[in-house]
Amino acid sequence: MSHSVDNNSNEYIPETYVPHAESHGTKGIWKTFWILLGLTIIDVVFYFTIPPNMIRNSIFIVLGIVKAYFIVGDFMHMKHERSYLVACIILPVLFILGLVMGLMQEGYMLSTY
Amino acid sequence: MATETAEFEKQSTWAGGRSPFNVSYGKLMMWIFLLSDAFTFSSLLVAYGAIRFSKGGDWPMPDMVFNHFPFLHGIHLPLMFVSLMTLILIISSVTMVLAVEAGHRNDKSGVIKYMLITIVFGSMFLGCQAWEWSNFIGDGASLSQNNFKLTEIGAAKAEALTLGNHYHWEDADRTFGQPPFSALFFMVTGFHGFHVLSGVVILLIVFINVMFGTYERRGHYEMVEKVGLYWHFVDLVWVFVFTFFYLI
Repeated sequence: MSHSVDNNSNEYIPETYVPHAESHGTKGIWKTFWILLGLTIIDVVFYFTIPPNMIRNSIFIVLGIVKAYFIVGDFMHMKHERSYLVACIILPVLFILGLVMGLMQEGYMLSTY
Repeated sequence: MATETAEFEKQSTWAGGRSPFNVSYGKLMMWIFLLSDAFTFSSLLVAYGAIRFSKGGDWPMPDMVFNHFPFLHGIHLPLMFVSLMTLILIISSVTMVLAVEAGHRNDKSGVIKYMLITIVFGSMFLGCQAWEWSNFIGDGASLSQNNFKLTEIGAAKAEALTLGNHYHWEDADRTFGQPPFSALFFMVTGFHGFHVLSGVVILLIVFINVMFGTYERRGHYEMVEKVGLYWHFVDLVWVFVFTFFYLI
């Protein structure tokens, strides 16, 4: 079984096609690492300095989404993918937001029994 | 002329004869698998949120439950151990992406070095997870019961507790609390831990293949990229488990 590595080859075989990958260097990787580490440290600092309330919880959720952006965008290379692929993977995730809102409401209603 | 060419390019994206996503078949399937896995984990976390909400505040406080640290018995250290676990997983994610980068340069020894570090850190995370579980079970938690009520009593105690204080459980703290707390903890962290375990196994298989030069002969290290995607996803899920189980 031959694997196509030549990107300029006119023959396109979907099962074996592998686009040519290029290195973006390690600088960006370490930058993302420091951002993720910094965000986690901010999480821990807020945990000990702010008393538990709705605002603190919202900050944690927002920081979690920011971390997710950096992990998916940089580490999983999503920033450099075609917009079609980005749309296919990211848009369905937005449906989860609807599920979250629906079930939070449901949970709240159950607590009023 | 240039615009005509651009127009033709745009039309022919979906006209066949080329990859519309410009990724390999295997990588696209990995992405779609990860999307389905994201749904599974979301449903677990959303169920956690809904059940916690439905108890209207009668819920154990995480910093009164997960406040142990290895070798520091009886000292009140909330969040410290789980922060260490988070750090371990972030480091393993970085070494994984460094392995992928080395693969792009066809640098076999670089891939071997960074994949080995990733496997070591992944195993360390699994060890931490096992320690956390055994501690929680030792405190009397199981799928159907949990010993931590710790809502109002705990809140009063928490006022008096400062970081690093010695702390002894009293009987008042150990009345039965909400069973779903421990059930959800075991289900969600267990599901995540199983993903880490299978990730380490897949990493080992790819690592052995790299050592034997399978991908060198193939001409590209795409397999490392695919297992890397899976590994980053495990890290991504942990970000949310950390947020919802320990921080909030």
